[in-house]
Amino acid sequence: MVKLTIDHKPVEVNDGTTIMEAAACLGIAIPSMCHQPGYPNHPSCMVCMVKDADRGQLIPSCSMTATEGMNILTATDEVREVRREALELLLSDHVGDCEAPCRLSCPAFMDIPLMNRLIAAGDFEQALRIVRNEIALPLILGYICPAPCEKACKRKPMDQAVSICHLKRSTAQYTERYDNGLPAMAERNGKRVAIIGTGPAGLSAAFYLQKSGYSCTLFDQHENAGGAMFYDIPADRLPKDILEAEITVIRSMGAEFRMDIEITQELFQSAIAGHFDAVVLATGTMKPGHAGIFGLQPDEHGQFVDKKKMTTSIPGIFACGNIIREQKMAVHAAAQGKMAAQSVALFLGSKIPADARPGFNSVVGHLFEPEWQEYLQEGIPDQRVEPAGGFPAGLNRDEAMHEASRCMHCDCRKPASCKLRLYAGEYGANRKRFAGPHRKRLTRSLQHELVVYESEKCIRCGLCVEITQKHGESIGLSYAGRGFDVRIAVPFGGTTAGALTTAAGECVAACPTGALTWKNCEERQSS
Amino acid sequence: MENNLHIIEKTDLVVARRGTTPDAVIPILQDLQLEFNYLPETALKRVCETTAISRGQISGISTFYSQFRHSPAGKHHIKVCTGTACHVKGALFVYEAFRRELKLAEDADTDESYTFTLEKIACLGCCTLAPVVRIDEVTYGHVVPEKTGEILADFLSRSQKGDSIVPETNISTSGIQGEIRIGLGSCCVASGSSEVKDELEKTLAKTRIRVNVQQVGCVGICSQVPIMEIIRPGENPTFYARIKPEEVREVILSHFKPEGYFNRARNGFFNLFEGLLADGAPKSFRRYLGEQRDTPISGFLGPQVNIATENRGATNPVDLESYTRSGGFESLRRCLFEMTPSAVTDEIINSGLRGRGGAGFPTGRKWKLVSEQSGEVKYVICNGDEGDPGAFMDRMLLESYPFRIIEGMLIAGYATGASQGIFYIRAEYPLAVMRISEALRICSERGLTGTSVMNSGFSFDIRIFGGAGAFVCGEETALIASVEGKRGLPRLRPPYPVEQGLWNKPTLINNTETLSFVPWIMQHGAAKFSAIGTTGSKGTKVFALAGKVKRGGLIEVPMGITIRQIVDEIGGGIADDRHFKAVQIGGPSGGCLPASKAGMPIDFEALKEAGTMMGSGGLIVMDETDCMVDIAHYFLSFTQSQSCGRCTFCRIGTRRMLEILEKIKNGHGTSLDLVNLEKLAISTAGGSICGLGKTAPNPVLTTLHYFHEEYEAHLTGHCPAGKCLPLIHYEVNDACIGCTKCAQRCPSDAIAFTPYEKHVIDLEKCIKCDICRQICPVDAIKIH
Repeated sequence: MVKLTIDHKPVEVNDGTTIMEAAACLGIAIPSMCHQPGYPNHPSCMVCMVKDADRGQLIPSCSMTATEGMNILTATDEVREVRREALELLLSDHVGDCEAPCRLSCPAFMDIPLMNRLIAAGDFEQALRIVRNEIALPLILGYICPAPCEKACKRKPMDQAVSICHLKRSTAQYTERYDNGLPAMAERNGKRVAIIGTGPAGLSAAFYLQKSGYSCTLFDQHENAGGAMFYDIPADRLPKDILEAEITVIRSMGAEFRMDIEITQELFQSAIAGHFDAVVLATGTMKPGHAGIFGLQPDEHGQFVDKKKMTTSIPGIFACGNIIREQKMAVHAAAQGKMAAQSVALFLGSKIPADARPGFNSVVGHLFEPEWQEYLQEGIPDQRVEPAGGFPAGLNRDEAMHEASRCMHCDCRKPASCKLRLYAGEYGANRKRFAGPHRKRLTRSLQHELVVYESEKCIRCGLCVEITQKHGESIGLSYAGRGFDVRIAVPFGGTTAGALTTAAGECVAACPTGALTWKNCEERQSS
Repeated sequence: MENNLHIIEKTDLVVARRGTTPDAVIPILQDLQLEFNYLPETALKRVCETTAISRGQISGISTFYSQFRHSPAGKHHIKVCTGTACHVKGALFVYEAFRRELKLAEDADTDESYTFTLEKIACLGCCTLAPVVRIDEVTYGHVVPEKTGEILADFLSRSQKGDSIVPETNISTSGIQGEIRIGLGSCCVASGSSEVKDELEKTLAKTRIRVNVQQVGCVGICSQVPIMEIIRPGENPTFYARIKPEEVREVILSHFKPEGYFNRARNGFFNLFEGLLADGAPKSFRRYLGEQRDTPISGFLGPQVNIATENRGATNPVDLESYTRSGGFESLRRCLFEMTPSAVTDEIINSGLRGRGGAGFPTGRKWKLVSEQSGEVKYVICNGDEGDPGAFMDRMLLESYPFRIIEGMLIAGYATGASQGIFYIRAEYPLAVMRISEALRICSERGLTGTSVMNSGFSFDIRIFGGAGAFVCGEETALIASVEGKRGLPRLRPPYPVEQGLWNKPTLINNTETLSFVPWIMQHGAAKFSAIGTTGSKGTKVFALAGKVKRGGLIEVPMGITIRQIVDEIGGGIADDRHFKAVQIGGPSGGCLPASKAGMPIDFEALKEAGTMMGSGGLIVMDETDCMVDIAHYFLSFTQSQSCGRCTFCRIGTRRMLEILEKIKNGHGTSLDLVNLEKLAISTAGGSICGLGKTAPNPVLTTLHYFHEEYEAHLTGHCPAGKCLPLIHYEVNDACIGCTKCAQRCPSDAIAFTPYEKHVIDLEKCIKCDICRQICPVDAIKIH
């Protein structure tokens, strides 16, 4: 037995125990990427560094065995800094997008690539569910969204962007009943929320609050719901029946609409503020007197609303949409409506789940032309489909499936389980800090029926090499080259199809990044 | 098809010779490359079919070691040495000139006709002849860029004649009149000593003068080669330095009398000869008497103490009799018959000997650790994988004193209870491999190795393992991986090789130089050895002294000698009336010390304290024309290219540091870059598991520390030493006489042909190849 202290706590372990294992006995978790029990070829990633305080050295805890009297520190600034630097160096040599650029540029962070894949497979209903995870008004936005996503689409410089906005509309159009795509409704929790305004922000907030068990009452000074969407957008751009169909959904979820009510300070104070558990202000552009009506005080920057939390100076009163800042995109307002709903829920003691906006994103940015081919392997080569029936009709079902097949799967297949992303977020790594002047050219190997290999996402830990050896793969994987240029490759230029047979599953599971993934997995991050 | 069949047949022969186990992979690949000049895929696949070597293993190995190529090479290999000494003397200009001469395409290393393959090599170990180029077996010293065409032509004419350049023959002439010693180390050969030897043989044959001709190993005075030493009984030895073949005859006749029917002619000849001397005809050689003071040779040899290099320049390396005559193998005999293994170990402990490979671990303690391990099988490995640019001590010792190192290894084996020894010698040292294998053959014949050495009952077998071109294999755990037929990746220690080494058996790994001290210590006693040196560092240390000193060479100095003594006394000070600016000690693992620190003694601890280390013993002296940012970049580009790629910090960190240094050298650096550079340097040192990664940042850290203002100057777009190409330009000053030499030689037509007018350099066209500056007869071309 060996006695040592880790973060000043004594622990006694068997001879041959590693420092990482000893720390685990104390409940101290140490990050690690290259290490997997049973495989000796580590350390390499150096993310598991700890400090041997007595010898004054940083040591890799996954492989260094604990010795008598050691005094180990795992959480000092120095240790955190060296781990962060290791991650930053790995990131400087990591070429891959955690999320597709379309999704990152979507104000609502909608999972566009997944939607596209589901449409391409003909599963419009599931695609609609995915859209509604982030966007409450898919049908409306399918008409009026200016689609910033399409400007970011990686396919745009190659030929034309994928027609994302039309595809989003198609999910609503080709689901048998529009409310089929509705999420399961939670039981009513007895809490009441007032929403002032029925524009995209208000409707969106109502959608997510209703879904989560809250009972919403929407107030609007106009006769018709929809705000600017009803009154300012011409019908040839957004047909009135489309707007009505979306509002019907929200109504069918149990939201109450009280129209033609002008909110005065008196009305607000007497009938709303005290009578609801929370209030969401979604009035549209802030007008003089607004602050007075709701009793809001500006913060030190002169702002009435915290743009991250959607809170105001008064607890229980939230705000979203153009009241915060004038903006043209309805999708922005809709996204804020969801955020306000989340804040309300948090304030009232529950939680509205959402796809996590991750703490860290690796971004490739501009592609070099030779890399286009790597991406185009996963998208059909055809030109963008323009709807045969023009804008009013949108894409028909077949057109939608065809267009969705143009999507190139830019998003990573391990967005949730990638340890590099996880720790980069946890340690606040800056991917650009040690960026070199040249990045490696990315490659994507798809010959294998089930597995995708993206060499430039690899951290060269070699676990897969060892696993293929253990499985006795006749071809297997091996290291090629040395030093900075070392990579994992199939011997003699063979294909992954031949290299990975019985070992495929274990290799994909062991790979700490998105370098080796299942071709058809849909891993999702949730908060 | 036929071609493939032919490849398969030859491959099978190689496998039959080398065996089918996984650890035979490197020798098999070496033989295949020798056979085919590269590694054909057909051959590699065949190996996998017929041996236990897997496709993954053979791919991994053949792409790890830089010796192996996967595409056909040219008929001849041009190796441009880019070792430190060559680097500071403009090796890159030479390399670029060859590229132009061979019209190589951007990514190509072989010319279109497959005649030549051009490569850079870390160090050929001829630092005093820098810059050096080797084409196959022919070495060219002091190469200048404008002569590359002539060199290629000369090489091709030699190879047509079928000249053999290093004839390894033993001339055993029974001596009557005296002895002539001629150095045939790599440097000597490169400077033309074999031609001198040919001429000497011719002269002796014609004149029938009967003397002993000794081909001796490296004499060390590499700056004075070719060198010939003449010894006559009862006379002081005379050295002839920088002698030329056409001068040999008269030198010989001035010392020895011709025999037989030449007698009559002799007198006439002598008259003529003396007449020549009287005429004061110009002689290129210099003659120095052995006892004479204040000659370059006495200055060079004076402060040295020869232990590892005992009998330097006096013995034929592979002549066992001459080794035993001077007491060779007496130490081994004493150990085997008069001492217990632990008494031997104690003697080494008491001597204070520390490992000369770099880190300076006490040698005796290491022996004791191995001897305390139980187990039937233990190994002793001599680490001869010297790969530092600017260091060639191990090569010289292996080439010149093979028996001494073998004896050292046998004593180590006896003391530690080992039964098997391995010489790990790098691929770039073919002569060393040849001499050691010849010496091992002789030892085996004489019962000095094998079963029951000297009939003592102690058995010890020794074999050679050829390294395949990976600097990291100098690290002991990587070396072991390589012998086991794996990629040369270091592993985390503990466990140390003394407990779990080769094939998981206890293994003693000692550096070549370390082992070469052992016979002397056992012969003269620990006390005599430890009387030399400082408190913590005992005995002597061999250095390769090169760079901007007047006299470079291989030197052995007592520990504790100051850097200044080495530079001034042994090296004769700085050449070309320049100033002593800095000294780089320890190669890529070491650091740069400014001249102000030159009072520092050579001592493990003192050097470490100053941010550098003993390393394996490269000692490169620099003057004010050497840019310290460039030097840091130079060393780091070496270690970066040699990283095994395992640890994140070493694999990526060294690359990022190098990129930052490039940015600074280009004048685009910022102060944030300096911050990041230092940060990465510190993290890489702390975050790598082996010595390569831990010490790779030393050249960066020491230059940042001692020459910070030079980095600052680069940030403002100025290179004080005029070395960083993007920050300099060439200009012609008024001294120009309009001789058009530069205009004729300029490879990019940047200088117009204007006879008798001051030339002008078109900066747009100038490629900064330095040729004009080097050939200008009036020194009219300046760097700004």
